[in-house]
Amino acid sequence: MDRRFRERLETRFGEQLTGPIRQRNDETEMRIGPGDVVPVMTALHDEPELRFEFLSDLAGVDTGVVMQVVYHLWSESTADWLRVIADGLSRDDPRAPSVTFLWKGAEWMEREAYDMFGITFEGNRDLRRIYMPPDYQSFPLRKDFYLPDDAARSPGGGVRPMERTHTPGNAPSSALVRRGSA
Amino acid sequence: MTTTTDRPADDPRITLERDLGIFEPVPPYPPRTEREAEFYTLGDGQMFINMGPQHPSTHGVLRVVLKLDGEKVVDLDPVLGYLHRGVEKLCENADYHQAICYTDPLEYVSSLFTEWSPVIAFEKLMDVTVPRRAEYIRVLSSELNRIASHALFLGWMALDLGGLTPILWSFIERDEIVDMLAALTGQRMLFNYFRIGGVNGDLNHEFMSRLGDWMGRATEQIESGNGLLNENEIFVRRMRGLGTIDQKTALRMVMTGPNLRATGVPFDVRRAHPYSVFPELEFDIPTRSEGDCLARYLLRMDEIKQSLRIIDQCLHQMPDGPIMAKLPRLLRPRPGRAYAAIEGPRGQLSTYAISDGTDQPFRMRIHDPSFIHLQSVGLMMPGHLIADTMAIMASLDPIMGGVDK
Repeated sequence: MDRRFRERLETRFGEQLTGPIRQRNDETEMRIGPGDVVPVMTALHDEPELRFEFLSDLAGVDTGVVMQVVYHLWSESTADWLRVIADGLSRDDPRAPSVTFLWKGAEWMEREAYDMFGITFEGNRDLRRIYMPPDYQSFPLRKDFYLPDDAARSPGGGVRPMERTHTPGNAPSSALVRRGSA
Repeated sequence: MTTTTDRPADDPRITLERDLGIFEPVPPYPPRTEREAEFYTLGDGQMFINMGPQHPSTHGVLRVVLKLDGEKVVDLDPVLGYLHRGVEKLCENADYHQAICYTDPLEYVSSLFTEWSPVIAFEKLMDVTVPRRAEYIRVLSSELNRIASHALFLGWMALDLGGLTPILWSFIERDEIVDMLAALTGQRMLFNYFRIGGVNGDLNHEFMSRLGDWMGRATEQIESGNGLLNENEIFVRRMRGLGTIDQKTALRMVMTGPNLRATGVPFDVRRAHPYSVFPELEFDIPTRSEGDCLARYLLRMDEIKQSLRIIDQCLHQMPDGPIMAKLPRLLRPRPGRAYAAIEGPRGQLSTYAISDGTDQPFRMRIHDPSFIHLQSVGLMMPGHLIADTMAIMASLDPIMGGVDK
């Protein structure tokens, strides 16, 4: 944990932070609003005392309430990973600015986040689905997308269609009757 | 030719539909993005050609639409998703132990690395301290896996260029290592060996005797394998100056691993952000400045030598002690977030895990280097010939299991 780095971030981005800076293990985490992504990321990338020239990861997250875009950055100036969370994107129409003007390689990562969560990255030149077919309608990694065999949530009570021996209206199979009476 | 429509429905003969297999390069819908509109508009004398999804040199199922001017490639558009399994979603519906085995087949030639990054992330979530012996075993086995992966790269790349001999030679190397790892982990490819808090089994006699036997002749064996290509004028002249990428562009494309180091940036997660016991080990980070296919190939050969050094040190410094931390069977970490990155044979592999206090990860994001490197092919290709597509793609060493997740 780099305490001094935390102070540096607090003094530099004081007003843009929407939550406290958290530190755990070798990670420093800061939260910003989606509107501040461009100035904050540009400052992190360009300023000589920060020099976060390396984008390690870009991920979309659905918390069930809001959407987030999470950036992980690496710099020589600190021993920590920096996690920047662009928080509070609405689930109905999540929008965040693209960071492809700094890292062109973020283009596919943003395409992936769009494909999986439906987050629109404004400024990305090639924002189309990357894994799913082009005519696919939903966003698989959202929390309201259930797997068909998700045991805890599916309407069949966790029994897959191919394993289902009877439809609910019919008489139960002999195996179930025996187990029930025992 | 008759089509299936003229026949009775119960006709058992298999026939092909008339239009099956005809490739329509332009998508049947209006362009959705700026880039798609630009790519699918043909200039004067240009044409499209389709490569894949079943093409031997794409190392998996990848489709690439090439835009050609004569035999020169003007631009290309990789189409992914043929191998997409939704690993991240599957991990969210599995508990922490189960999630590790879903990550195994991501990079199926270097599975220990794809296990390692989620394992570190989960250990950070649970604040587990891993016993030192377990850390050394992890480094030892994964460096062996790195050599196996680089040996396979050597063979594949020569195969894509039309040389059959190197792959047969490199498989000798690879098979010996794979047999060793099979003795250690019980599996040849998808090991499922790392556990949260340690490893699954201790070093055994068979593994140690195989390793000791191999270490004695490894350097010589690798040198002779390299000589087959390093001193081959056809190979060297073919690879030199091909698919060049400069340092600045490589950083802008967020490339990592050997492909970035071949442009002269000494970025290696093992040194840049040390994990496990790497601070205690001595090794160099080989770099090259050319940034072409030959540099990427030679750099990997240098890395094999460094891996041998690390293995040697691990064997000498291996401490005694337990190989697993004491942990409850059912893991329920406190709510929190953790990020862990490691240096895989292809570059930085990382995992971002979020816990919500239950026994399943709330979100698990896996970042794979192959995915990143594949998009930079678009920058390296223009101006080269069609035949060079395979050489350039092979020199980046992408694994489609990791690209498509």
